[in-house]
Amino acid sequence: MAGDPYEALGVAKTASDAEIKKAYRKIAKSDHPDLNPDPSATARFKAASAAYDLLKDAEQRRRFDAGEIDAQGQERPQRHSYREHAEAAGNPYARSYGFDGDPDLSGVFSDLFGRRGGRGGFSGFQQEEFSDPRDFHVRGQDYRFNLEIDFMTAANGGKTRITLPDGGDLGVTIPKGVRDGQTIRLKGKGGKGIGGGGPGDAYLTVSIAPHPEFTRDGNDVFLTLPISIDEAILGGKVPVPTIDGPVNLTIPKGASSGRKLRLRGRGINGGDQHVELKVVMPAKPDEALEAFMEEWRKDHGYDPRAGTKAGG
Amino acid sequence: MPRYYSESQILALVDDLTAPRLKAFVRARIVTPLSTADGPAYRETDLARLQLLCDLADIHELPEDSLPLVMSLIDQLNTARGDMRALMQAVAAEPDEVRGRIRTVIRHMRIVTVETGQGG
Repeated sequence: MAGDPYEALGVAKTASDAEIKKAYRKIAKSDHPDLNPDPSATARFKAASAAYDLLKDAEQRRRFDAGEIDAQGQERPQRHSYREHAEAAGNPYARSYGFDGDPDLSGVFSDLFGRRGGRGGFSGFQQEEFSDPRDFHVRGQDYRFNLEIDFMTAANGGKTRITLPDGGDLGVTIPKGVRDGQTIRLKGKGGKGIGGGGPGDAYLTVSIAPHPEFTRDGNDVFLTLPISIDEAILGGKVPVPTIDGPVNLTIPKGASSGRKLRLRGRGINGGDQHVELKVVMPAKPDEALEAFMEEWRKDHGYDPRAGTKAGG
Repeated sequence: MPRYYSESQILALVDDLTAPRLKAFVRARIVTPLSTADGPAYRETDLARLQLLCDLADIHELPEDSLPLVMSLIDQLNTARGDMRALMQAVAAEPDEVRGRIRTVIRHMRIVTVETGQGG
């Protein structure tokens, strides 16, 4: 906010705290960017909230009035507009808006956009159909949760417990090889039904926390393996971590950084583990190594950049 | 890499959010943080959502028991808007002839043209 905060709020410099608050709320009410798509409304709202942040604090207001600080620089970190998150792909709060049950269009709709939870957050209107209103059976509500698990649990499977919003908890078996974004259905673990209606289901959308060393693509696991200069030149067997524990990997003689090796079947559910070598120099080259290299360079020099387009 | 916030961080970051209020939102499943081994983890989306919920409660003075309904409508609208944006981009990438056919169908279904009768 570069302009005058009093002007942004449309109040006089003598306005009371209550008047300032009232002015801010009035603008927020009409121009909230989550509720009003007009770009000029968003601009007014931003200016008003920056101005309000400055003026609501008595000390800051005094310093601004005294000319000690200007309106610039008082802006707080960007306010978090929900809309940009909510429109984005993969928003966990995405919900269906009426085509799922459409007899003519549900097919073409789900073909384009997939299916979404309709009963995740709001227990209200979308209940199963019942024909006779006196014979009232409603299946319980489906619950949706988001669950974060670590890389190894996702790769090897395992058990975890989640805390439910009402305070209870639920044991969950994570299937081996579950992927980021996949949903686990826990049958009958949703809300209670009414009448003869059974309980709803609980759906857990899994996100996988990154691992410091392993990454994965489907069932294949990737790892960068640091090797020493002597291992790179002479080759040999070195232990390499896999999701099932360390195995020995044969480094070929003269391996360069970037060389890719494959451990067949050592990934997830029969996938492979891919190992990229990275040659790491000793922390500080010693005199013997330097002396050797000086000699060696005289008649064994080579140009590793010979084939590169950009030149050395 | 996504950023996560703990409960105490989220309480410090969102104006007007109190611990009982947050608890009520989570219980009502209006906000569904990630369950992790270290307790609930809030995403950027949750941060923005909580800010909006506080604005709706304080500025628009919506009663708390209306918030699930209003958020449901806002979610539906935002999801529809995101889908519409994707659809528009897909249509925009199509050749003129395909766009023309789509336009004809949409105009036919969505835009009512009132014929102004001559004489009578």
